[in-house]
Amino acid sequence: MAKTLYWIQGGSCGGDTWSLFNADTPDLTELFDFLGLELLWHQSLSSLSSDALDALNRDILEGRQPLDILCLEGSVIHGPKGSGKYDMLPAGPKKNLIRALAEKARYVMAVGTCASFGGIGADSDVMASGLQFTKWEMGGLMGQDFRSSGGYPVINMPGCPCHCEVVVGTLSAIAANMPVELGHYNTPVNWYSVMVHQGCTRNEYHEYRIEEKKFGERGCLFFYMGCHGPLVPGPCNKVLWNRRSSKTRVGVPCFGCTRPDFPQQYPFFETRNIEGIPIELPDGVSRAHYMAYKGMAAAAAPKRLIQRKTGI
Amino acid sequence: MRNIKKIIPLNRVEGDLRIQVEIEDGIVRDAYSVGTMYRGIENLMRGRAPMDSLVITPRICGICTTAHLNAAAKALDMAYSADVPDNGQRVRNITLMVEQLQNDIRHAVLLFMPDLIHPCYANEPLFAEAFSRYQVLKGDTALQTVKETKKLLEIISILGGQWPHSAFMVPGGVVSVPMASDIIHCRNILRNFRKWYEDRVLGCPLSQWRQIESWDALLVWLDQSPAYRDSDLGFFIRYGLDLGLDTLGRGHDTFISYGGPDVPNRHRVRPVKGDHLRSAPAFYSPEGLIPLDPDKISEDIACSYFEDDPSIRHPFDGQTIPGDPDTGGKKYSWAKAPRYDGRPAETGALADMLVADQPLFVEQVRSKGANVLIRELARLVRPINLLLAIDRWLAEMTECKSLFFHDYTKAVSARSYGLVPAPRGALGHWVTIENGAIANYQVITPTAWNASPRDSMGIRGPWEEAIVGTEIRDPDHPVEVEQIVRSFDPCLVCTVHALKVR
Repeated sequence: MAKTLYWIQGGSCGGDTWSLFNADTPDLTELFDFLGLELLWHQSLSSLSSDALDALNRDILEGRQPLDILCLEGSVIHGPKGSGKYDMLPAGPKKNLIRALAEKARYVMAVGTCASFGGIGADSDVMASGLQFTKWEMGGLMGQDFRSSGGYPVINMPGCPCHCEVVVGTLSAIAANMPVELGHYNTPVNWYSVMVHQGCTRNEYHEYRIEEKKFGERGCLFFYMGCHGPLVPGPCNKVLWNRRSSKTRVGVPCFGCTRPDFPQQYPFFETRNIEGIPIELPDGVSRAHYMAYKGMAAAAAPKRLIQRKTGI
Repeated sequence: MRNIKKIIPLNRVEGDLRIQVEIEDGIVRDAYSVGTMYRGIENLMRGRAPMDSLVITPRICGICTTAHLNAAAKALDMAYSADVPDNGQRVRNITLMVEQLQNDIRHAVLLFMPDLIHPCYANEPLFAEAFSRYQVLKGDTALQTVKETKKLLEIISILGGQWPHSAFMVPGGVVSVPMASDIIHCRNILRNFRKWYEDRVLGCPLSQWRQIESWDALLVWLDQSPAYRDSDLGFFIRYGLDLGLDTLGRGHDTFISYGGPDVPNRHRVRPVKGDHLRSAPAFYSPEGLIPLDPDKISEDIACSYFEDDPSIRHPFDGQTIPGDPDTGGKKYSWAKAPRYDGRPAETGALADMLVADQPLFVEQVRSKGANVLIRELARLVRPINLLLAIDRWLAEMTECKSLFFHDYTKAVSARSYGLVPAPRGALGHWVTIENGAIANYQVITPTAWNASPRDSMGIRGPWEEAIVGTEIRDPDHPVEVEQIVRSFDPCLVCTVHALKVR
């Protein structure tokens, strides 16, 4: 029997849906047939009337319509002061409907950083949270002990937006009853055990510490331009965006959008550093050894690279 | 006499939208466009570094993300007196226009057309064909649209890293330095899309359509060849006339457009009559065209869930102080009411055509007023102008040695703004910088103009006005109201302050 999918938007820009439009093999029009999924509702893709949607919601909540997979795109809005009045449905705050649906679903997926951790609006009077986290802290809307009836906590798929391959891949696994291995912050290890830095075409610059200090110079963006590539996990340079490129490849620093604290409170486009060494180093790196290694690497840098005769 | 008050939630808009209508004897007597979500994005900009606007404001909207980036970058260009070199300008324009292209086609085919296959039209002679073209995720044209627009967006990825949500535009230009091979890829992708658009959507070469300057000429064109009649454009005109879309949704008939993008100093995209890429920002009404004075833009919160005194302010001085939506009174929306010189204005593809003096659209608006058919027609043919300009700018990038970025000195304090032709119309960012940090940030999106609630004078917003007076065939299924709102290409996630409407 086809598994059912319900996609709901909270405090959202719609970017995760448009990112999903980038999917390829299967693309969005093929996805549901390929995976044997029945799409019950998606804001941008469904043509149910509002009466029919109300009826569908009642059927799910009262147990007449099985719900296998719930995807939330966007944050859960609690403001002002926990009332949820900044995001209202005719029947009440939308957060109540999100919670009720999540309690019925066999699998609950947080698509994007807002749904996972609160994201945009987590630090404001909007009081945005994720489904099971508020920034670094577990809890969120559903509470830290929540497990859906399929036995999983909320499956977090951060990224701003979430890459379409993460969504398609995770849905494929669930559709095929394959286990989804979760790592840090309950993210699927298949896509979040790789750092954004891995696969960046500017790796050679990084290796020899050829830095970009001014836009367009072409160099590693980690030391001065605020790149989070070596610091945060994400598949951007493994699977690429729109099948073509990535931000770091074209010279846009990684803003660490998969991390629970995105958007970070410190400025973008600059690296917080002490005498040219970033304050934040990759997890587990010994600062003293790192400084020695980078100093020697810079001294060993090939001329070709220093002169940017690289095509990158 | 039968009086009905009805709440109509719309799907297939970016974000949620609720329209409240009062129907009397089958006619809409009054309409309210209601915003039910507040996202607070402007306020979280305060105190942050000015450059952070390049990362955060694109997250206002997942489909106009590049337009927000461009508006934020332009505001910083002005704040820092940064000079954008020609190739930087070209990359900005190409990516902005590509985003607009995909939006025009996706909006028309995936979001608007499904309204035309509502079961209430099942007896229409062209219904079956419409269904086979536009059924959600299954119709022929819908399937092709998903595939072709996705490929087109690869251009933004090549030049800017990813779509949606990159931050490759910075004050002084762009960060990327595309090589000739990158640009060739982009041109090939564009060529592929152009071929599909000409074959499938337009039914004829771009240059041929540009010669149509009147409704009569359009009807003659339609009869000239089966290829024209059977194109999606030809089909839409025939079916739209059958459904009477040309008599639906006349509003205030006042329009605002920010014209075309800034152009490189040296380029060969020449002004052509009707080509909005070279027109200047303007306000258009039946009395004529008035060049835009940005000082005359204001926002009014008399009917919005915000608190401020005075209730009307220029966006430089605008505040976003959320009130209690349960207070009642005349406040009913999380959207503010943008006004130009005190008047509401509709924005989007049709407004672009009018300020560009495109003869067909000027003729139609003068004779019949704006309507659902002409708004959608404008959106379906706007890609003609975009495709030609994008290709020219791509070609110019390979031919000249211009830089992509000029350095600048950051100002400690400034008041500046960026106005951009976004996919859905006029988009503006206004920023005040004090002590090197953002002191105030205000955004007026295209949908804020179109979805505006009433103002202090009680004047309705554009689509509220367009709904009033509409004859409703079946009050239980007021599809006419949905079509009217949809013809404005609503994007409610964008109607920031930062609001989402249900």
